[in-house]
This record gives sequence, structure tokens and C-alpha cells, in this order.
Amino acid sequence: MVPPQCVYFRMLYHYLDQKRKEGSARLHATYLVSGKFVENGTTSHKVSVVREDQLEDAKSKMSLTVSVHVYSVQKAVLKDSGPLYSADYDAVKENLRNCSRYSAIRCADAVPRSSAEVQQACETTQAPPPETEQIKANHSNLASKPTSKQPKGIMGMFANKNVSKNQDSSKEIKLEQKEVTPVVETSKTKPAPKTNPVTNFFAKQAAKKPDKSIKEEVEIAQTSSSVDEKPTSPPPKAETPVKEELAKDAVVEKDTSKTKRLEHSDSEEEKNESRRKKRRRIKKPEPDSSDDEVIPDSPPQLQEKRDPSPSPEIQVKKEPVAVSHSDELSDCKRRKRRRVLKSRTFVDDEGCIVTEKDYESESYSETEDDFKFSQPTPKNPNPPKPSTGKKEEEKKSKKAAAASNKSTKQASIMGFFQKK
Amino acid sequence: MTTLTRQDLNFGQVVADILCEFLEVAIHLILYVREVYPSGIFQKRKKYNVPVQMSCHPELNQYIHDTLHCVKPLIEKNDAEKVVVVIMDKEHHPVERFVFEISQPPLLSISSDTLLSHVEQLLRAVILKISVCDAVLENNPPGCTFTVLVHTREAATRNMEKVQVIKDFPWIVADEQEVHMQEPRLIPLKTMTSDIVKMQLYVEERAQKQCLNVP
Repeated sequence: MVPPQCVYFRMLYHYLDQKRKEGSARLHATYLVSGKFVENGTTSHKVSVVREDQLEDAKSKMSLTVSVHVYSVQKAVLKDSGPLYSADYDAVKENLRNCSRYSAIRCADAVPRSSAEVQQACETTQAPPPETEQIKANHSNLASKPTSKQPKGIMGMFANKNVSKNQDSSKEIKLEQKEVTPVVETSKTKPAPKTNPVTNFFAKQAAKKPDKSIKEEVEIAQTSSSVDEKPTSPPPKAETPVKEELAKDAVVEKDTSKTKRLEHSDSEEEKNESRRKKRRRIKKPEPDSSDDEVIPDSPPQLQEKRDPSPSPEIQVKKEPVAVSHSDELSDCKRRKRRRVLKSRTFVDDEGCIVTEKDYESESYSETEDDFKFSQPTPKNPNPPKPSTGKKEEEKKSKKAAAASNKSTKQASIMGFFQKK
Repeated sequence: MTTLTRQDLNFGQVVADILCEFLEVAIHLILYVREVYPSGIFQKRKKYNVPVQMSCHPELNQYIHDTLHCVKPLIEKNDAEKVVVVIMDKEHHPVERFVFEISQPPLLSISSDTLLSHVEQLLRAVILKISVCDAVLENNPPGCTFTVLVHTREAATRNMEKVQVIKDFPWIVADEQEVHMQEPRLIPLKTMTSDIVKMQLYVEERAQKQCLNVP
């Protein structure tokens, strides 16, 4: 009994063959090649979508070619893999909730794992790669991949991983993000150690562990997608140094490549990461708020990590604060706070923990902050006008702006960019 | 059901923004697909949730951005009939023209919640079609350049000449040489119809693209 998708492969191949013999149309095909691949002594199962002219090259690089079939047929020469993804975007989206709709693999006994089981699985997969598991998974992925541009191409890859529904939903969110999926789908040149991060990636989504592996994965996805359009040609060597770089400089890289950052602006991992960082910041200032002289380095460092551009300004501004106490403030409390402001948090009159970032004008009251991690208090007098409020501060309108600052996190984020 | 008129400037601006964003992506993609610039300067980015190729070269990006910045007010007032991306050979004769015919209904009615996502879907389809348009077009000769022409109403042209929207970025009336193409072939690519805009994309291609000795 032949699985139906083999029929599709054969039909497509037959069609391609026939048209070429007729010579009626110039058709181009992409192929999906999978097999064993040895790199630096580690064997992995590699799946890649390649253009026809790269097919022989891809096959020769594999120690054992398990499967080759036609992935898509089109009239145009595909310069990059983008159209392969775009072509069935709508169909994929429609069937997002129904992952296995076009999959030929059905098993009544297959049920999604609970999140506990998934975590256990993650822990075991963090050990040296379980090759057999991957091979099985990848085989089933291959089997489920259609040759024509049907939605199960992406779905099959993820649906057969036997992960919990939580992860499915997070995956669905991920599927909307083009960055990961087409790279995973079309340029599976990553050896098995990297398919591990893929499984970990989705497993950890539910656990919210994240972000490093996700960052790496995403960054790898970015670099590999931006590096080339030919799926099989990214040299494995380039990927390992990329990995190392990412491990060290993941955060810095993100900051510097702001355009890429924008693409991930709605990604879960960024939200997690920003929440994480914000949580860090909130915790640390609390013990500091009562101190006058303590100038912990960590919050500024966190700040620097997050936004390298405003941080030099923070450091510059520390000096005027230290040097000049020339303003009219008579309140000792304020002065103390100003020193505390070096650590950029303090408690204002109303008991709000507010972080101040602006050191330009000494005449600012303690409550004129543009940067706060609220704890929004129930006594928020005005709904914040975030960016305009901060601009007013710059013009030295003290109290009104102060009142308007006790508000949302959005206002605080703007503070980074307003005060320059 | 909300009915907005063109006097409702906010909505007009929204439509102009959408169209200009789309045109920016489309122009970058055309430059990539037709190999006007080497593919190395392009980088994969995401728009409408699909991958598109955008250039990283700052001057090119600035040029395209400024061009569309000037076109935007025309679209807002529904003065722009066509936006044309012309690819010219070394002798500055057009070899290909990608024509975006834009028409906006005078009375815009938002009758559906899913209007913008529907528009996004349509724009995605146009982007996809541009990516595979070299199936129907012949290769261009090497050393091509490009320019953007806008066909507008008479009054709008005069206004544009009077007022420089961006400093040191003047618009001039196009030469006959740049506009007229010899033996053009028309290849329709995509049509989209939505409540807020109707757009048609077709390509006029010169029958003989390789070097042509024109007297």
C-alpha cells in the first residue's frame, strides 16, 4: 500500500518529465532532498529544498541519500525561496487550526503530549542528539510533505512532532512569522544539532524558557536567510561561528540590527525577553531606592544592553548630576533622590517607584521622570500622554508632566528615545 | 457601515500610506527580480507576512523613499493615475515599464471589518506575482537603470513643479524619450479590486530588448 503522497510525487515528476519531452514550456523545479549528512564527525539528517541545478551537488554531499522528490514546479526561475512560502500562504492560514488536514499520516493513537511530558522530552533531547528520533521525525515530515504547493508542507513538519497543544498554538503564532518557517522549511541545511534547537524551540515556548535558544534560532534564521538564497550552499562552517557569535553577542547583535529587530517586534521571544529584562530592572531598584549613595551598576548595564545609544547619554548625565546642585530645590529628599537617580529609581511623594532618566535639567522635580517601570498606582491622576508629556518635560514644565508620567510602560519606553 | 469621503483626510492618508508602502516594496522587488542591481545588496525582509527582498543600499533606499514621499500627496488627492517603474538600457531607452494603474473610488465606504486584512491579502498576491514575473518576461540587457514616472492630471503636475515637497529633489516633466517605447508588448500581471483602491499591474515590454540602434 502506497501512501498517497507518493502518488503526488509521481504525478508531479511525470508532469515535469512530459512537459520537458514535449519541449512546450520551460519549467523549473525545486527538489526536496534528504539524507544523512556528516559534518565534523557528527552525523545528522539533513533535509533541504534545492534548485534543480544544485540537486546533484546536494546529493553528492550527503553520505546517504534517503529521499529525493519534486517539491515544486514553476515557470519562473526562482531566485530565492520567498515565492515558495507565499504561494500557499493563504491555504496554510486557513488550515492553521487544522494542521493535519492535508497530512496523509494519520494515527489514532497519536495524541498530543502534555506539557510535562514535553519538558521531559526537552531535557532528554538536550543530551547528545537522539538521531533515531530525529530521523523518524524527519521521515514522517518528509512523508507528509506534498510535492505541490499544498499547505501541509509546513504543517506536516510541525504536526508530527507530537507536541502539546500549547506548543501548537505557539507554533501557530510562529508560523505566522515568516522568519523561522521558510528557513526551516526551505533551507534545512542545519544539521541535527540544530534541529534539536528546533524541537527545543517549540517545546520551550510553552515552558517559556527560551530565549537564548530561540534567539539563536531566530538569529540563525536571519543570518542564514539573509546570507543566501540557495538553500544548500550556506557552508556549515559559517554556521558554527555564527552560533558562537550569537551565544556571546546575541543581545548586542539584536540591538545593532534594528531593522531585523523590527521584524521580531511582535515575536513572543522578544516579549518574553523584554518582560524578563524589565522584571530585572524592577527588582533591582527597590533596594536601592532607600539609599542615597548607592549607585549600582547593574541597572545602567541593563540599560546599556537594551539600548546602547541612550546609555552614553546616561553616563554623561551622571556627571552634571554629581557636580551641580545648583537648582532651586530645597527639599533634601529630592537631593537624595537625585543621587539615587544615578541608579535611576526612587520613590516619589506619592509612593510610586519611578525611574528617572533625564539628568539634563536640574530643575526637574523628582517626579519628572520619563522612564518608569510602573507599578501603575491606582491614583493615576491623568491618563498619560506619553511622548508629548515627555517633550513638555524637556521644556521644563515640571509638575504637569510629572503627573502625566505616572502611567503606562509605553511612556517609559519612549523615554529612551525622547531625551537626547 | 461607514461612508467616508475624500474630505475625510485621515482616511485618505491611510489609503495613501498603504499604497506608498506597497509601492516601495514593489519597487524594491522589481529591482531585485529584474536584476537591475546585483542581488547582493538585497536582504530578505518581511512584509504582509511574507518574505520580500529589500535593498540595503542607503542611497537607493533614500531615493525610492523620497520618490514615494513626493508621490504620496498626489495619491491622497487622487491625482495620480499611474505610477510607472521604467527600466532603461544603457542608452536610456526604456526596455520595460511596470505600470501600476491606481484608481480610488470617490466615495470610500468601509463595509467590512476585514477590509484591511483583505487588502493585505490582495497586496500579497501582487507581490507574489511580481516575484515570478520573469516567467513571462524576457531578460533585460546588462547595465540597466530605472526611474519612476507618475502620470497625473495637469493641475497636479504644475503644483509639483511649483512646490518642492522634498528639498533638492525636484520633479520634472519626463522626456518623450523616456516615455515612449518602441514596439511595446503588453503583458498583464495582476489586478486587484478592493473597497478602498483598485489597482492594475501590467508590464510593457519592448519587443527587442537587446541593444537597439536608434537613429
